[in-house]
Amino acid sequence: MSPERCACIHCDLPLTIGELRGGQRAFCPRCGSLISSCTRDALQRALAFAAAAIVLLILSNAFPFLSLKAKGLESVMTIPATAVELHRDGYTTLAVLVLGVIVAIPAAILAVVLALVVPLLRRQKVPWLVPAGRLLFQLSPWSMVEVFVIGVIVSLVKIHHMATVVIGLSFWSYVGFSLCFAATLASLDRLQVWREIEACRT
Amino acid sequence: MQDVTAFPAGTAAAEGLASCHVCYKLAPVALRECPRCGSALHLRSPDSLQRTVALLITASLLYIPANVLPIMTTDQLGNEIESTIMGGVVLLIQMGSIPVAAVIFIASVLVPLGKLFALSWLCWSVSRRHRTSLRERTVLYRATEFVGRWSMTDVFVVTILVALIHFGGLLRITAGVASIAFGGVVIVTMLAAESFDPRLIWDHRGDDDD
Repeated sequence: MSPERCACIHCDLPLTIGELRGGQRAFCPRCGSLISSCTRDALQRALAFAAAAIVLLILSNAFPFLSLKAKGLESVMTIPATAVELHRDGYTTLAVLVLGVIVAIPAAILAVVLALVVPLLRRQKVPWLVPAGRLLFQLSPWSMVEVFVIGVIVSLVKIHHMATVVIGLSFWSYVGFSLCFAATLASLDRLQVWREIEACRT
Repeated sequence: MQDVTAFPAGTAAAEGLASCHVCYKLAPVALRECPRCGSALHLRSPDSLQRTVALLITASLLYIPANVLPIMTTDQLGNEIESTIMGGVVLLIQMGSIPVAAVIFIASVLVPLGKLFALSWLCWSVSRRHRTSLRERTVLYRATEFVGRWSMTDVFVVTILVALIHFGGLLRITAGVASIAFGGVVIVTMLAAESFDPRLIWDHRGDDDD
């Protein structure tokens, strides 16, 4: 793509971004913030990881996540049941917040990625390119997939001494999902995606 | 602040150019709308300081119940034990899980407090037109923006324990009010970081420094 004039979003230094090749990143010379990063075959890569992430996200909601065995009793936890349990205790706000940032928002992001990347790859001028691009970068700070994985690990440490913890299929699916999800977002640089959208519309 | 002459040289704003906050396109602010994505163009985020300060006050108020009230209740054979965030950290240290205690302490205590102080200082230094450590303050802003989400760890831990530990009358864990307050602190500080415009740091740059 041709060089483009832009400004650093953190210090407003006017810059001209030359053509970036795969793996190259551009930083602001004055304040050091990342201006743009270019991933080789970014759109294909995003599509592949997003498709894998969707499958893994569905799997991680369908099976037991963790189960606990103590004194002949067993307690099984699934991701959707987490919200149900909080709602039953009267913490509906918390249930919505948690399920939102670990499942609903990531799922919405993946749907937007598909709706955006498929037409861009096929050079189709669909009417939702601009709203999809806008939604993608508005939603992405609100997904907390990797934070939840850390939360699970901390919980495991907290409870492993009091009972036998069995790690379910959904746990591994969710870990895989978090990796694919991170890879999807990492390959979609804001400046590059918007330049693709602009090129597709003209 | 939409007057072009108010901006120092070396900013796009001084040339009357605005970066679109959605797609980063650089366009003349006189167009009012971004030619690429149609969003409204502003030289700087409107009312950035007022919004940030309002959100910081909200977050500070929520921070009090988040730490004073119990984040979860353990009910063992009818014996209810309430624990706060700091109580959980102390318990983990007593159990000997120092690394996990450190993770929770950093994510739930240091990071939210650090964010509140950092953003307050950034707002104060911008309103007092400080001219020094421009780059350092921008780096501090980026760090605040980056760490924001990680404070949710403790809320997730409570959620998982509540969902996993329910053995009828034998042993049961329920969430506490502090979990909502703490979730609120995380969300509101994230909004505060988002509403602060770091370009304001560079707007009072003197001619004598860079």
